[in-house]
Amino acid sequence: MTDRERIEALLSRRKPDRVPIWPFAPQGFAVIYNNLSLAEAYTNPEACYQALRKTCRDFGWVFFPTVGYAAMGAWEFGGEVRMPSGEYDQAPMVTRCPVAKDEDIYNLKWPGPDSGFYPTARKLGELARQERLDNEPFNAALGAGGGFSLACNIVGLDRFLKWLIKKPDLAHYLIRELSDWSLAGLDKQSEKLGTDGVLCLSGGATSSNYLISPQQFAEFVLPSLKEGQEKLRALGYKTTYTHICGEHNANLPYWSQIDFGDPGIIGVGHEIKLETAARYFPDDIILGNLEPAIVQTGTPDEVYEATRKVVEEGKELPGGFIFSPGCDLPPRSPVENVRAMTKAVNDFGRYA
Amino acid sequence: MATEERKQELIKGLYDSVVNMDEDTARELSQAVLDEGIDAYEAVTQGLTVAMDRVGELYANFEYFVPQLLLCADALYAGLQVLRPHVRLGERGAARQIVIGTVEGDIHDIGKNLVKIMFEAAGWIVHDLGRDVQLQRFVEEQKRTQSEVVALSALMTTSMMAMPRVIEMIKAENPAVAIMVGGAPLSRDIARSYGADGYADNAGEAVREAVRMLDELKNK
Repeated sequence: MTDRERIEALLSRRKPDRVPIWPFAPQGFAVIYNNLSLAEAYTNPEACYQALRKTCRDFGWVFFPTVGYAAMGAWEFGGEVRMPSGEYDQAPMVTRCPVAKDEDIYNLKWPGPDSGFYPTARKLGELARQERLDNEPFNAALGAGGGFSLACNIVGLDRFLKWLIKKPDLAHYLIRELSDWSLAGLDKQSEKLGTDGVLCLSGGATSSNYLISPQQFAEFVLPSLKEGQEKLRALGYKTTYTHICGEHNANLPYWSQIDFGDPGIIGVGHEIKLETAARYFPDDIILGNLEPAIVQTGTPDEVYEATRKVVEEGKELPGGFIFSPGCDLPPRSPVENVRAMTKAVNDFGRYA
Repeated sequence: MATEERKQELIKGLYDSVVNMDEDTARELSQAVLDEGIDAYEAVTQGLTVAMDRVGELYANFEYFVPQLLLCADALYAGLQVLRPHVRLGERGAARQIVIGTVEGDIHDIGKNLVKIMFEAAGWIVHDLGRDVQLQRFVEEQKRTQSEVVALSALMTTSMMAMPRVIEMIKAENPAVAIMVGGAPLSRDIARSYGADGYADNAGEAVREAVRMLDELKNK
């Protein structure tokens, strides 16, 4: 089977020949593997696209050409970011949030097509739509991440988290505004892209229980995530890949109330056990969840062994399983570790 | 001069104001402490510090989360701002000192700030270098302040790679410094492999870990 066939089999609730490998956010690793600078993952769409394409082919991974970063929104709404340039940088970092004063949220400058990162993402998207390879189940992305993460990024995390308690009306107002803007964007994007080859994306790092309580998740995060998914289903999109980033165990009862498709693809970090994820999402495909740090800091033997454990636990999950690190594939992972990870999936991920 | 009963009432009020995230009350009661001639040091240590210990417990037990912690810290700082200038020098002995910062390449500082709050609440002098801190700055600041502890924070797998290097740089200058690390991608094993003396999984554990490291280094 090709990787595209493997993913299509899982989406049709059939078993593939082996567990597919679909690393989450591999763009940083891909550019470095191709002797480019890390910044080029975010500034040079042509180079990033080719690097992703070659890397996925070399390692035998699912190719899903898209690029983004966790702090998206700040730049697009008029703030400033710094592209990764130093030895220890990983992704664009927000250096100034667009909302300086509380009242700024009533006068948001809505992003246009050329705001912030959009031109780069659009260019990469155009390149992706020009071909569809046999390891490429989808060649376009449609984001529906809800208003909460966006609000954190444009207000600033510390400040917005305080609003949840001290100024909940302000927080609700902003989330509502951003959700409406985001939902309107889905209509436009859907008209342009259609449904064929389009994968919807969702997720949330800032809504993890590292930061907020499950009650706060239910009040401030869940409603707009739900709305986004309902809209996508109404527009005819059958599946969403959602990245449940970090420690979300106490939020899972709420996540599981959302319809991520038939089936959805649920990516979890190493903080959530695969069997726990499968208990909450028994009909969905679970994706995950090797601890990313081990790919960077472990020896090849350690990476191989840790991957084996993940694959052996995941491969028999009832809704299907895709292997990935639990979050971004660390950009500076040693190549021999990435090879060991890949080899372990291939060695232990076969179905009889 | 306030009665013992009034003193305890104010200290309890300060404690409650921090635990209940009430910045205005913390400020008002701190002023009352001064106005009524109550010892500022006692108000800080028995009211504010004990309250932040309780907040740390609530956080560790998943009853409080970061929004609550940040607001408790606002109340703490409101009280400290009033009381600290009136804590008589020498009263509490030589305060322990810590240099803290998020390492180069990383601007995520919420975890670092929470750890800083806990150290300040515990009476340490905190030299906060901020975020995206050039590695040499940690070496220089430790040397300048002669701090016994350096705490390094990182959220990203790339920025945590700066940690072994900066630990080596600090230890080369002063092997007696206790260095602790923390941040989402780290673990105790990784901390050990980087040459760190300590690791804290969350802000509530950080002060205890620092004290443990110092005891351990002293007994070496």
